Amino acid sequence: MLGRLALHLSIVAKHLSQRKRQTAVAVAGVGVGVGFFLAVSALMVGSQNDFVETLIDAAPHIIIYDEIRSPSPQPAVLAFPDATVETRHYKPRNEVRGLKDWQEIMRAIERDPNATASPSLSGAVTLRVGGREEALGIIGVEPGIEAKVSNVEENLKYGRLRDLERVKGGVMIGEELANRLGVGMGDIVAATSRVGTRTLKIVGIFEQGRGQFGSNSGYVLLREAQSLTGQPFVINRIGVRIADPYAAEAEAKHLESRYGYKAESWQERSADFLALLLTRNVIMYSVVSAILLVASFGIYTVVSTSVADKQRDIAIMRSIGFSASDLERIFVIEGFVLACIGVVFGWALGFALMQILDTFKFNVQGRLESLPLDRSTFQYILSAGASLISAVIAAWIPARKAARVDPVDILRGAV
Amino acid sequence: MTSLIRAEGISRILDVEPPVTLVQNISFDIKAGQFVAVIGPSGCGKSSLLYLLGLLDRPTTGRLYFDGVDTTDFDSNARSQVRLERIGFVFQFHFLLPEFTALENVMLPMRRLARLSARDTRTQAEALLASMDIADEAMKTPDKMSGGQRQRVAIARALANDPALILGDEPTGNLDSVNSGRVVEILHDLASNQRRTVVCVTHDPEIAEAADSRIHMLDGHIEKID
Repeated sequence: MLGRLALHLSIVAKHLSQRKRQTAVAVAGVGVGVGFFLAVSALMVGSQNDFVETLIDAAPHIIIYDEIRSPSPQPAVLAFPDATVETRHYKPRNEVRGLKDWQEIMRAIERDPNATASPSLSGAVTLRVGGREEALGIIGVEPGIEAKVSNVEENLKYGRLRDLERVKGGVMIGEELANRLGVGMGDIVAATSRVGTRTLKIVGIFEQGRGQFGSNSGYVLLREAQSLTGQPFVINRIGVRIADPYAAEAEAKHLESRYGYKAESWQERSADFLALLLTRNVIMYSVVSAILLVASFGIYTVVSTSVADKQRDIAIMRSIGFSASDLERIFVIEGFVLACIGVVFGWALGFALMQILDTFKFNVQGRLESLPLDRSTFQYILSAGASLISAVIAAWIPARKAARVDPVDILRGAV
Repeated sequence: MTSLIRAEGISRILDVEPPVTLVQNISFDIKAGQFVAVIGPSGCGKSSLLYLLGLLDRPTTGRLYFDGVDTTDFDSNARSQVRLERIGFVFQFHFLLPEFTALENVMLPMRRLARLSARDTRTQAEALLASMDIADEAMKTPDKMSGGQRQRVAIARALANDPALILGDEPTGNLDSVNSGRVVEILHDLASNQRRTVVCVTHDPEIAEAADSRIHMLDGHIEKID
């Protein structure tokens, strides 16, 4: 069997070496296709990974809110599930907001060694400096725990998260807000909530352009938030970080069904972005597939011309005792070999293009960043697989014709 | 003596409109080791008969036995296998593969059959070329050889897998008298000394003369056998 393959390959080698220019064009077609496939997908997948990473780490993987997605039905509705129930004059009970039994939820989450949970309380205050007023959503956290579940720390331009514990009444706000208020590190601001007014000291400033750390939210100590908003011992959010961020969706569903509170995974939070990425992927893969498809046209042409030119040789080989499937295989191998050579060139080209892309540096807010590139072997394998498969199909169409050549027709015509 | 080829009323009718009869109701026996010439005017169906005997084509009706086996209903692969192992073709034009050297051309059927090791294949092919007195041309491609040399390479290739049957389609048709005399000599030697069966379609009286038996054809049927 191996000998047969070697024989077929030696015939293919003769065919290809005989038509060097066509061979070169077909190989170049596949090479360019594979090369650009690699460069484009490296860029697209690389930037996507970079983006998703940012999405994942921007906030805890799962946030449990003190909300429920839909109110529980009235007892009468539960009692008569098949009936139409009208309830009148019911009075909503005034419940204290906040997650009930949050310590219990925390303990349950912490039992999983791969999960970390951080309680927080969010509320609203108004900051006042001089005559200026700005609304601020405050988030009260335990700095030691919060640092483990979100990347607050990394987004701080000045100060450290731990400073919240050291300075009484410390607050961390975004750079934009600080600019608007005209305050800097160490400055005192007045914060008014529905229970009163007190002073806060700026102990940290978040870097500009960092999403939710931006203009209108600030971090304070959990205790501080509880007393500011007049809700002692209450928390209304639990942030959860898990080892495998892609399990967040399932985990959130599990938590929600267990405790009833709305648990939002990062996937749910960024569903629109993820849908956008999907569209982007569909576009990218259709474009690169089209490139590879066009490349396979070149292979079709070479093999098809080869079959047409070699009618006599096909008849000779058949008369010697080569079977129809031998001939079919020879021409399919011809296309396959072209694609293989093309893939090798394409890999080299793709690698070179990535090196070039890597040299581009971009100034992102004062930092020099290079393009995020995905250089995984998977892309190399994918590009090779896709071009080899399309090449085999492209070669197989004319190769079937070679198999169907009736040697007698050719011999009769030649004599 | 057993018959190598036995035709029982074979016909070949082309399925076109109107149908064309190439070979009509032919029956004969060709014994192993016989040298047979098929002669007749152009278009009498000689070549069509040869293609039938060589299992390149299949009869529309009738039965064809090769070495006692009914090959009429063999599928394409089985026919290819019989051609590979038992039959060698020599055509009017040398019909060598132009990109391959003489040696490679001879080795082609051997490599396809893969009965011998790579080294033995080469040795055997060289021996065949030597037996045709063209050992020196082994590394040349067909376009660098004379017509007579090419035809001898073609015969060497036909003999590559040690076939029982050699089929010639006007093997001397394109050669000068010296070369054609040489080819006739070789064919005769294949039959008489190597006990191979040789069937040649020919216009060449020299072959007809050298043959043990002559099948005279006219308009698709056998006129006489002598």
